[in-house]
Amino acid sequence: MPAIQICGAGRAGDGTNTHILTLGQAFKDLGAWVFIWREEVYSNIQTRDSGFGLRAADRPIYGPDDEFDILEAFDQGALVDTTGEGRVPPIARLRPGGVLIYDSSTRLDYPNAGYEVKPDVVGDLLRSHRIRVFDLPMGQMAKQTFQSYIVRGTIALGVIAEVLSIPDEPFLSRFHRTFGDRGDLLEMNRQALTMGRSYAHEQGWQLPDMRIAFTAAAQDDRQLLLGDEAVAAGAIVAGCRFFAGYPLTPASEILEYMAEKLPHFNGVVVQADSEMAVAHHILGASVAGARSMTATSGPGFSLMQEAISASGSNETPMVIAICQRGGPGTGLPTKIGQEDLNETIFGGHGDFARIVLAASEPEEAFYVMEQVFNLAEVYQCPVFLLLDQMIAQSSYTTPALDPSHFTIDRGKLLGLEAVAQLLKGNGRYKRYQLTADGISPRVIPGTPGVTTCYINSNEHTEEGHITEEQAIRQAMVEKRVIKRMALIRKDPRLPRPRLLGPADAPIGFIGYGAVYGPILEALAQLETEGQRAKFLELRTLWPLHGREVRDFVRSCQKVYVSEHSAGAQLRGLIQREATGPMPRRLRSILRYDGRLMTPGYILSQMREA
Amino acid sequence: MAQITTRTITPADITGPGAWWCRGCGDFGVTAAFRQVVLTLVNEMGIPLEQIFVLSGIGCSSKEPEMLRLNAYHGQHGRSIPVALGLAIANPNLVVVDFGGDGDSYAIGMEHFVHACIRNINLTLIVMNNQVYGLTKGQASPTAHLGLKTSSTPEGKKMRPVNPLRLAIAAGAAFVGRGVSWQKNELAELMHKAISTKGFSLLDVFSPCVTYHREPGFRGSGPIVDWYRQNYALDIQEAWREMRDQIFTEEERAHLPAEYDPTSPEAAISALRLIAEAAKIGREVTGLLIINESAPDMATALSVSAEKPPALADISIERNVERYRELLAELR
Repeated sequence: MPAIQICGAGRAGDGTNTHILTLGQAFKDLGAWVFIWREEVYSNIQTRDSGFGLRAADRPIYGPDDEFDILEAFDQGALVDTTGEGRVPPIARLRPGGVLIYDSSTRLDYPNAGYEVKPDVVGDLLRSHRIRVFDLPMGQMAKQTFQSYIVRGTIALGVIAEVLSIPDEPFLSRFHRTFGDRGDLLEMNRQALTMGRSYAHEQGWQLPDMRIAFTAAAQDDRQLLLGDEAVAAGAIVAGCRFFAGYPLTPASEILEYMAEKLPHFNGVVVQADSEMAVAHHILGASVAGARSMTATSGPGFSLMQEAISASGSNETPMVIAICQRGGPGTGLPTKIGQEDLNETIFGGHGDFARIVLAASEPEEAFYVMEQVFNLAEVYQCPVFLLLDQMIAQSSYTTPALDPSHFTIDRGKLLGLEAVAQLLKGNGRYKRYQLTADGISPRVIPGTPGVTTCYINSNEHTEEGHITEEQAIRQAMVEKRVIKRMALIRKDPRLPRPRLLGPADAPIGFIGYGAVYGPILEALAQLETEGQRAKFLELRTLWPLHGREVRDFVRSCQKVYVSEHSAGAQLRGLIQREATGPMPRRLRSILRYDGRLMTPGYILSQMREA
Repeated sequence: MAQITTRTITPADITGPGAWWCRGCGDFGVTAAFRQVVLTLVNEMGIPLEQIFVLSGIGCSSKEPEMLRLNAYHGQHGRSIPVALGLAIANPNLVVVDFGGDGDSYAIGMEHFVHACIRNINLTLIVMNNQVYGLTKGQASPTAHLGLKTSSTPEGKKMRPVNPLRLAIAAGAAFVGRGVSWQKNELAELMHKAISTKGFSLLDVFSPCVTYHREPGFRGSGPIVDWYRQNYALDIQEAWREMRDQIFTEEERAHLPAEYDPTSPEAAISALRLIAEAAKIGREVTGLLIINESAPDMATALSVSAEKPPALADISIERNVERYRELLAELR
């Protein structure tokens, strides 16, 4: 697959993120499919090492490859472990024959000051790996010419543009979008781009071996978006009009997007005083009749368990997106983990119905919001969307997202006419009326004629009043847990596992989320080696489609359950819900060092497993 | 189609089947006053009964919805305020009244209580304050006074109590008042004012626990009320008359009105001084302390309109699809 992978490495707050993002946008506009990720970001605003990855290919990609073709060193952290904590600097992942472009300024400015690049310290590596080295004092050039140190990122864009023969146009159109009517910034960035290009041209730097001929569509309506943005946009299209949130990495972008957009759709965003408050805000808004949701990560999700249990008891629709990060405790705030599967499925005290869906890339994350909100209202229970840091905070190119595909199903939420009919029949509205399917009609408070909508998280009668009597307790548990889960299990709207690869392949992989892209590429790699393998991507984690998973496992000689969890939570779920122990057939590929899986990682682990 | 209730309602229409409290419990007085207020809201002010929504947390006081027949939410301990926020913001047309206890609102729910005051959510919090955790059999609550002996404070309470009025005033609540359960009409009047005030209203109510609140020499329902009257409650007007000489300078006194005025710009400072002064003699003030509608309530501040509340937004795909396309076009 023709692809190029670039790492920009510097220090938090020095503009590396913007540089890589702009480069990725330009590649996308050239027709490439891109993946832009946080290669190395610490829970820190300015001073720590910071690196961003960009991969561009001629077809959709969903993750990083093992090695970089180009490393841009914006300071010394790109080359050495400046902290002495055992950090592996990005140079370790630069492929033999790759390219190092570095800022050769003798003095760098804050926040890079003191981390001036000295390539000699890795001289042996550069020679033995035949690394081509391009040096330019871009920090000094930016300061001298533009009195703006930060614009060195644009000079670096000019260098990349020249060595890979990329025209100015995609960069200029992105500058237009970013700076809008700020003509001075526009002009400065245009000149900086030219300066970088001219410098590279004068030095005779060229990388013909790394050029890829992308084909741009005449009308490119593909998206370039974060998973978090896909979730938020999907939620708005699905009718979410109340969002409550508390800032928490890696879910904050959902709060921020909602804060900006939701008021334009007759919606409202509440930034709450804690995640405990958040979870109860969305219950209140849901009772009021709004489709409501929140997004969080492990620490916040733990605080929400009480409200989740209440939702399970009082049958109020609830939607939570969980962007998992490395745990436990506050763990690794900015890095990958998939350790909250168990809490999502088994958290909250008591028995109650719930649904857990997953998405592996933004296109899925966008479209699944339709089902997330519909299922929450149809089954009047908590519905969780389980994501992880990689999908949440990486930018992906996806095909154009089409909102007209969505349908809205509000389940047994009664409109005015239906309420009038019901009142004529029963006389009085009962929130927990025992019905044949176990699902009771909901009403919006304020609906004419309804003054007896009593919602209760204590055990309750049909009218909602507190009770502890045996028969009604039994009936309510059966209604809310047993009948409800039986209905949910049969619902065709729960996204089924997706089989990728040849059905008769003897090697199988199972996973969801961050492992999706790397597994797909591992399959392709195995195929070139003459091994046939397939992948079962899970899109509903609770209730698990046990038969499909069991049949898949039985059709394989070996199955590698791949996940970012030391506790092998996904494998445990599969064993419990689908296969039993199967110790010989079921193997784990685990990664819990906070780093993304890659095709190479999966293949090497597979050979050891 | 069903119509908004326009007929005159009677107490029986809004009385639930509940039988949860001990004989003589102060909470009966609170309930009677609230029913009276609901009748006024519906019969005299024309507020649709359908739009009144009550909530509660957990505890004896939180059984309030059981005693009523209204649209209601009975939730988790300490969490009725954040649920009430969701309702009040998603649909500002609702008249939201939240019932809590002193443990509910001032211990486990303290976070939400203070932020509710600061955010100025348009809802009324009625706290049935009895100094003990009744439903778990009488442990000391945050408002239990120094020295109170309970099952969790066998040697008498050693830490100072929470003063909810002081907190609410400092946090900027629009209405701050305290009623007593044994004076139904006065309590109903305070409740009505609290509910009519735009913004966050705290109405703390002394609602004695006849079973677990024990004062030497005052056991039983009549006597414990006597203890409150004789040894604890101090009306704000009385405090004003008797204590202002102690808390204001001579120069200040020259400009003071004859009666305490809860709507005056100085009310917050005066009330805080009176609360502190009363505390020196072991007393807690009652009555109407603050009405101040100068700050916008939360829904107004967030530009949530009652005409087009988020809870009733049109979410049809068909009618919104063009705007959704524009939204997605930005993500390229």
